[in-house]
Amino acid sequence: MLEVRGLSYSAGQRPVLQGIDLTLAANDFLLVFGRNGAGKSTLLRLLAGRLRAGAGQVRLAGRDLGNYSRRELARHVSFLPQADEFSLPMLVSDVLLAGRYPYRSLFRGPSRLDIEALDAGVAQFGLEALLLRNVQTLSGGERKKVLLAAAFIQDVPLILLDEPLSFLDPGSAQQLTRMLSGLHRGGRTIVVVSHEIERFFPLATRMLALDAGRARYSGPRTSSTDLFCDVYGIPFQRIAAAGRELIIADE
Amino acid sequence: MNKRLWLVAALVALLLAVTPFLGIVAVDPRALLRETPASFIFWQLRLPRALLGFAAGGILALAGLICQSLFRNNLATPDLMGVSSGAAAGAVVALELKGRLAGLGIGGPTLFSFLGALAAILLIFAIARMVRSFSLYTLLMSGVAINFFFSAVIVIFQYVLDFADTFSLLRWLTGGIVVAGYFEAVFLLALLAAFLGLAWIFRQELLLLAAGDDFAESRGLDAAAFRRWAFVGLAVFVGAVVSLCGPIGFVALVVPHLSRSWGRCRQGETMAFTVLLGGGLLVLADLLARSLLPPVEVPVGVVTSLLGAPFFLVLLLAQLRRGE
Repeated sequence: MLEVRGLSYSAGQRPVLQGIDLTLAANDFLLVFGRNGAGKSTLLRLLAGRLRAGAGQVRLAGRDLGNYSRRELARHVSFLPQADEFSLPMLVSDVLLAGRYPYRSLFRGPSRLDIEALDAGVAQFGLEALLLRNVQTLSGGERKKVLLAAAFIQDVPLILLDEPLSFLDPGSAQQLTRMLSGLHRGGRTIVVVSHEIERFFPLATRMLALDAGRARYSGPRTSSTDLFCDVYGIPFQRIAAAGRELIIADE
Repeated sequence: MNKRLWLVAALVALLLAVTPFLGIVAVDPRALLRETPASFIFWQLRLPRALLGFAAGGILALAGLICQSLFRNNLATPDLMGVSSGAAAGAVVALELKGRLAGLGIGGPTLFSFLGALAAILLIFAIARMVRSFSLYTLLMSGVAINFFFSAVIVIFQYVLDFADTFSLLRWLTGGIVVAGYFEAVFLLALLAAFLGLAWIFRQELLLLAAGDDFAESRGLDAAAFRRWAFVGLAVFVGAVVSLCGPIGFVALVVPHLSRSWGRCRQGETMAFTVLLGGGLLVLADLLARSLLPPVEVPVGVVTSLLGAPFFLVLLLAQLRRGE
């Protein structure tokens, strides 16, 4: 569903990404990792259509990304930035319903389909108690949950997340990871940029390792600890137990 | 439904009905239907003045509410965008040129102050776009520069103008609601209705912008384009108020704070509270302005600034203390 060929991007004279190749099928879960400044967030913004590529091609569902209108793109891709920007009071239910914006017409209120999508999202993510709260009064974990639910309600095949677990306590992080896994099993294509290899390695089907703007690795999930060592410069360990495979930093 | 909304609506209606009776000279209700000086004061001076005040306050407060969403900051107002000094500079230019612009008639200063307010907002908008930052910091700093520039223009012209023109300029420097007849009041009431209608139609877009550009763009809204058009719209509505009533400070800043907390995060209720409280506040301030220091009428802008400035400081301190 997503084909990236020779993708490059420069901020002014400074190259940020160079010659990235990537192929994702509809049921893939991609983990993007690399050191700070390796170009991970830039890649997400390029895929979300928030930045324009300097060179190369991004094809989504067989069509060049540049040929999508903003509204069309919003029916295919949802992008969750690392930090939310809720600096004014608003209802959680309004934030969720905003996910239906790409389907709404100017003068009409929400359609029955919009309300059904909202109800389904609220039920799946267990948000009943939060609906009439001010989003500013929610905890970090609750906000992330609301944003993920908004992407679900947006009903897009591809969800891009930038460091979804930053600032979350272990309980909330686990809850959010489970929700992401649920979305993946439900047929969504997920792209996660994260350093939390331990949490996301078990979910990933593909991996992209970025190093100073270039792909060190792009392909199916691999448990080669050398790759993680190369990218982060510290030793990693593979642990296989009870049919599960874990990659953790070896300290 | 919010019970408080109905209560506020009733109180504001009561205020509008009572204000025209009050002032330096109280009007006896029994005199209304006869041809007396008192009935003239009521029907031709005070009632249109109250209506104009309500419309102007409503528009300014709603502009403040929308400005907050556009900048994602609850201290952003059109006041900060050089509107006041732009309008005053426009008026001063018109007063100076009036001999040469006979064709424009009395509307000259009004038209020019409208254009001046428009120019100031668009200038700041252009600067913000140039540096690609719509932060409150950009807004404030460029606003300060533009205010200084226009203030200098005003002072130059003040030296050139004769005494009578300097006095009539005062209205565009401090803000005052002075009318006779209904034309201005009906005009601004119609603008208020249009403004409220537009704000309601575009409530989704305003909500998306308030949630952040990433959030908005990811839902298919062209945030930059919407913000650009919203600015032009704000400039038109605020410019219209300023050209008729002068720069009335702090209504746009103070009212949305109250209306956001009373509106329980619901957009419709918040907008309704904003218009009611903004209109009511200005009518009340105008009543104070024309009755506190008889026989002098203080410009209403002075009253709103006297009340608003301390409120602004309290707000600022509270935010700084919370570490925002």
